Amino acid sequence: MEQKSDTFLANAATAMNDTAAAQRRDIMAAFTPIIRQQSIDGFSSYEPTRKHLKRVRQHTLNHLAHYLAEFETQALANGNHVHFARTPQELNSTVLDICQQHSARRIAKGKSMVTEETGLTAELEKAGLQVIETDLGEYIVQQAGETPSHIVGPALHKSADDVRQLFLDIHPLGERELEHTSDMVAEAREVLRTHFLQAEVGIIGANALIAENGYAMLVTNEGNGDLCANLPPVLVICTTIDRVLPRAEDATAMLRLLVRSATGQPQTCYTSFYSGPRRAQDQDGPVEVHIVLLDNERSDILDSEYRGILECLRCGACLNHCPIYQSVGGHAYGWVYQGPMGSVLTPLLTSLEQSAALPNACTACGRCEEVCPADIPLPAMLRDLRAREYTEKLTPARWRFGIAAHAWLAQRPRLYHSLSGIAVKLLRLLGRRKGYLRHLPFAGGWSSQRDFPAPQAATFMQQLHDKQRRERQRHEH
Amino acid sequence: MSTEARSAIFARLQTASAEATANDILRESWALGHAPYPPLPCENTEQAFLTNVLSNRGTVDHAQDRSAAVKAIGRYLYTHYRTQRFVAGNDPRLAAMPWRDAGLLPRFGTVEVGEPLTVGFARLGVAELGATVSWTGKGNPSANNLLAEHHITLVDSADIVATSEDAWPRIQADMERIGRPRGINFVAGPSSTADIEGQLVCGAHGPRAWHVIVIGKLPKDALANALATTADK
Repeated sequence: MEQKSDTFLANAATAMNDTAAAQRRDIMAAFTPIIRQQSIDGFSSYEPTRKHLKRVRQHTLNHLAHYLAEFETQALANGNHVHFARTPQELNSTVLDICQQHSARRIAKGKSMVTEETGLTAELEKAGLQVIETDLGEYIVQQAGETPSHIVGPALHKSADDVRQLFLDIHPLGERELEHTSDMVAEAREVLRTHFLQAEVGIIGANALIAENGYAMLVTNEGNGDLCANLPPVLVICTTIDRVLPRAEDATAMLRLLVRSATGQPQTCYTSFYSGPRRAQDQDGPVEVHIVLLDNERSDILDSEYRGILECLRCGACLNHCPIYQSVGGHAYGWVYQGPMGSVLTPLLTSLEQSAALPNACTACGRCEEVCPADIPLPAMLRDLRAREYTEKLTPARWRFGIAAHAWLAQRPRLYHSLSGIAVKLLRLLGRRKGYLRHLPFAGGWSSQRDFPAPQAATFMQQLHDKQRRERQRHEH
Repeated sequence: MSTEARSAIFARLQTASAEATANDILRESWALGHAPYPPLPCENTEQAFLTNVLSNRGTVDHAQDRSAAVKAIGRYLYTHYRTQRFVAGNDPRLAAMPWRDAGLLPRFGTVEVGEPLTVGFARLGVAELGATVSWTGKGNPSANNLLAEHHITLVDSADIVATSEDAWPRIQADMERIGRPRGINFVAGPSSTADIEGQLVCGAHGPRAWHVIVIGKLPKDALANALATTADK
């Protein structure tokens, strides 16, 4: 997927000017935290499970080489072909080779963020294959020529009217109204059912890989992933090396947090564990299964201070609670992963230079860390990335000068207090008529969108000193 | 390419991984223990299972024995399709059901396109999840769980366990007996989507309706209490 993170500010401005889309984001912003909270309130073991899962994930990442090797051994024993890919290009060419070896023309694809990361669909289409996304949200954005705006709900930026018009345009099914959402879902079901039955290759992701038995876990509500995994004669599972968990029970424990954090459900409709190709006694299922394991910088992340981001469950809770994501939507982030987790992951998987705006897309409110089921310190990671931008001189020179000047001043408290006292007096004087200032010196960008309230009193330190002086005087009397 | 990639990835991971022997890692993993026990909606496991199935937008019924289960299936078929025909997997437990008691005409095998109703026999029910668990095989083609409009799942009350931690040892015991099945499927509701404006619609790709019939002894009023609990919500 082509990255457009370097134009984050322009992307955000475009998104915010679309008032209808902004209203839909506001509704989702009000709605999604409530359903998560209700679900967590009904699950009294949330905090202990979160702590347990943290220990399991840290243990697994500490010994990732061991568990990945164990998974590989078990998966091979189950009859799978296991492939490794260092880069997105290696994953894409591995999958293309598999498709071409089977002379496949039609591919049924389940939702997979990893294949979004590698741009697999575009690569397969370039080679002449027909790839259909089968998750309803992914299908909508694919048919609309767009990209997902949310890692869990890829098409939530579109209105029902948008989807209705899209289906009327692309499905040659004659005159019909598609009045209700259920009509559109039924139409997509009918159109995609044919594709499931005709596809020669199914491609899915995996929410977890189980080291002890070589199973891959797949979680969906629609059942499309299971249809991709069971109907075509060849199955390709694309995932990353950090998805391994030691035991099957670790995966089901993880689900208790993942599902509640993602959709507010206690359990998804379909949770499936797949071990490999069909057995002698099976009446259906693929005859050949390939598992492609992508690194793409993750082994470097494992060896860095950002290791914790590999514990991310991809639930999307941090997106749903982020005031920046709620304001600008997912497309502004310009790549596969959005919101706080995307602002950490994107610079690490691509480059900080290309995505320098993302770690700054943060109000430091801390909600993302609070709701993260994996307890990832996202605000601290974003702060560290901003610090790296400063040291690597990716921050604009004007900003760096300002930060350096502030640091110099902060180390001289007496000078700092007297200068800030003068500044407050000056601002109070300038804003005395209206009670606010239209323009703020050295902060034109900030005041271009809002007025600055004129200070009503002295600085905090001045007020504190005054209070302390008054108290001292009272005691003396 | 893959061999070269594998070596490069493992070399990198070895550098980033903590130094430890396989025994050390095993000991460390034992020390992790199990996940905390998840809460159930009530003390009784079977009632908790029924309550959670209903919460997952499934429907439920109870049959004291196989004959009553056949009649319950017959009622469901008549209500929804006015038919006696359906598809069932080649599960010996399904083959042994007294279908004639309700005049039903099962076809044993894999569902074909256009056949609206399938019946399966789950290996387990998990109360915590409100899910049935089955594995793919001759007795349970995966298409039967996915392609029909309505899917009926039977589960013996003795096979209902409280949590997924209770389910895995039983799955493991079966694996040791029959080998690892290709697929282990936890089903917890009809297929659904909320991808258009967050509105929930059942029947995205798989069954539009999921009906669970528990066979065997249930604690007194378990079904009635489960229905009352979910009706209150």
